[in-house]
Amino acid sequence: MAQEFKIDRLETTRLIGPMVDKHWKGLRTAKERGEKVAWCSGVPFIFAYAMDMKCHFMAGYSAYCAGRKAGEHVLEIAEKTGELQDTCSYHRLHMGMAEAVKRGYDVREDVILPIPDLMIAGRVCPEMSHYAEALYRKFGIDVVGIDLITPYQESDYPFLEKYLEQQFREILIPKMEKVCGKPFNYDRMSEILTVLKKTATIRNECLEYFKKVPSPWTLWDYGVSLAPVIYLMGNPESIPYYEKLKAELEERSKNNISAIVPEEKHRVFWDGWLPWGFLGHFSRKITSYGANPISGRYPWEMFPRPDLIEPEPDPVKTYVKALYSGGMLGNNMAKPGLSLVSEIIPEYHIDGLIFFTAKSCRIWKSQLTIMEKMERKYGIPGVTLEADMADSKMFSEAQIDTRLNAFFEVLEARKEKRRWV
Amino acid sequence: MEEVLRRFTEVSTDPYTSLTKWKEQTGKKIIGSFPMRIPEEIIHASGMLPVVMWRGNEAVTMGHSYVHNFNCGLTRSFIDDAVRDKLTFMDGMIFCRSCLQAEEIPSTIELNAPPRHFLYLYLPPLYPGSAFRDFFIHEMKRMKESLEEWSGQEITKESLENSIAIYDKNRSLLKKVYELRKKKPGTIKAREMLAIVHSSMLMDKEEHSRLLESLLPELEGRKEITDDKISVIIAGALCQTPHTAILDLIEEAGMVIVDDDIYIGSRYFANEIHSSGDPLEALADRNMKKLPPDPTMGDWKTLWTDYMVDKVRENKVQGIITLLIKYCPPHLCYYPDIRRRFVEEGIPEIMLEVEHEVVSIEQIRTRLMAFIEVIRGGV
Ligand code: SF4
Ligand code: SF4
Repeated sequence: MAQEFKIDRLETTRLIGPMVDKHWKGLRTAKERGEKVAWCSGVPFIFAYAMDMKCHFMAGYSAYCAGRKAGEHVLEIAEKTGELQDTCSYHRLHMGMAEAVKRGYDVREDVILPIPDLMIAGRVCPEMSHYAEALYRKFGIDVVGIDLITPYQESDYPFLEKYLEQQFREILIPKMEKVCGKPFNYDRMSEILTVLKKTATIRNECLEYFKKVPSPWTLWDYGVSLAPVIYLMGNPESIPYYEKLKAELEERSKNNISAIVPEEKHRVFWDGWLPWGFLGHFSRKITSYGANPISGRYPWEMFPRPDLIEPEPDPVKTYVKALYSGGMLGNNMAKPGLSLVSEIIPEYHIDGLIFFTAKSCRIWKSQLTIMEKMERKYGIPGVTLEADMADSKMFSEAQIDTRLNAFFEVLEARKEKRRWV
Repeated sequence: MEEVLRRFTEVSTDPYTSLTKWKEQTGKKIIGSFPMRIPEEIIHASGMLPVVMWRGNEAVTMGHSYVHNFNCGLTRSFIDDAVRDKLTFMDGMIFCRSCLQAEEIPSTIELNAPPRHFLYLYLPPLYPGSAFRDFFIHEMKRMKESLEEWSGQEITKESLENSIAIYDKNRSLLKKVYELRKKKPGTIKAREMLAIVHSSMLMDKEEHSRLLESLLPELEGRKEITDDKISVIIAGALCQTPHTAILDLIEEAGMVIVDDDIYIGSRYFANEIHSSGDPLEALADRNMKKLPPDPTMGDWKTLWTDYMVDKVRENKVQGIITLLIKYCPPHLCYYPDIRRRFVEEGIPEIMLEVEHEVVSIEQIRTRLMAFIEVIRGGV
């Protein structure tokens, strides 16, 4: 009989659910308390937080809604109201939600979003700007547009930082002041960044445990722990969460406890989005081969360089720096991504590469090229899985299973040659 | 006349041969520029020939190993051409961001089949605020300096003004051809119009203008098609050429295309510059114009649907045909609004999805016939 594997779950990650729920409930009920609400794509949500405005974050909400298994229902509403299947599922989720709330369609209460007073259209891709534009066109919602360029190469950071800083100062901050009717709260922004810096620093210490063979935790665990280093930014509960997590990892590590039991057979790299709508499903599939996804590009998107954050005296400048020089906005691009992946593979003792490709989102650039170059450089095999973050109609289960079977057969055959251990 | 049109068609359908020949004859360099927003004038002013990157004339083969099959036809086909060494006559390539696929193509090319000169531009969206125009100018300067450094030739104010004038002239000639088609529908076939505009993107501009000047009087002499045709406009088709077979089908089905809102069409030559001040600023101002609306980079207040409805009304056409490039997100995201708006306005609209390789002609024919029924029923 084939060996059976499972994940030995961490205790700490159980604490994340209530934190996340509290956040989304706060947003959902904001209007009842007379608070203003914003929706935001990309990272400018900190400017709303600094003004005590409740703000949603597009990717975070999509992950939450899909993770709560409400995504497909909202996607159906989107489809009924005319959205096309090939568009980004995050875009469709938001279109569906807005239509549902405006027109009173039945949606599960815990994923409802209030219609915003302001759309902060951080533009990483046209889909992001379109979700804001469509809400303006359909419902007349006020929009402010910010261009969030993903950098082609590191040498471009200085002028990209200047451009983003100019937009924050000349466009976003005056808009927030106008909408909220008060001066921008730079002190609050500094406070938020102080919490973020501390949280991300401990998070980086936690990531070190991925280097251990066997690893005491999985990328799935880290995936569910992302909120404190992104949209729960500034929430003081974030620091104790990561402290606790670190203590648990240290304990496991001391005792040589593997997250995959009975043993960690393969250590794989995971590129692209995490499949939020099907995290349990994918993690069971990968685990069934005794494989642990150890690292990827996406996890490194969340403020990987907290050392560069200087909350005072200029929180705006330091935020921009954290985004570019701090390596947050570039990893999905091919050249910065290639250098990162190149470092991750040996450092984390990776022996296989899984590239998760969302059909409706091409943000993870040149995945096939990166895969081919890494296969050649390190002599390890790679596979692409064509799927989606939230929409099961976008993928074929059978095709994924066939590819994973073939991939792990190759890994199995090369086991003796595993070069890192 | 037939000769000029034949030449335009040859250039449009086989730019590989015509550009290789041009290069041999002139000894000059060729720079490919990504569609829709890169100011070709700056390349022209450096003494090189700018050509707009195109969707190739063969099915994708080797490219499959470098680009996913759910990218748009232009990006897949261009990468395929590059990795198959079909583009070696292109000395340089300049890319810009507009959608995520447009952001992916440069790195795939640079890492697998790098041209001798390479530049990636970050052109800003058309959002309100001076930061965006400032940044456009910043990018133009970067483009100018990078070309100067590589070619060793300074791009002077005079040379830039001269290039702008050459491009303006070509734009005004293309506009004349379009005016003629509007005035006398049916005189110019859709595939001819496509060849006229597309060849302008792939030829020396002055030569193209000369040929156009010789063609215009003859086109004016053509007879208007007066039989009972249904008048339509075509819209969409961002970045790439629609299939001529589809254009033929539209006409064979009994429709006449009076005007268009496609990139290899009226969008390409919209907005002349007539610069008097700083030429880089003038180029920025042309590119930052809100009309025709740009679904890849536009602002939320300029509605593409307003522009389309105006075009339908101005041209007094009976319907509009959307050509939607498969896997083109900016258009896909916008399309629900387009659909809704035309329903509200009571204007017949049909969407045809077009791919690089597979075009299901029979299915399109059937849909077009049904569309005509709708229009006739409405009349
Ligand atoms: S296309 Fe990708 S990056 Fe853009 S909104 Fe959708 S998921 Fe996000
Ligand atoms: S805008 Fe559309 S046609 Fe142009 S590159 Fe992007 S996907 Fe392709």
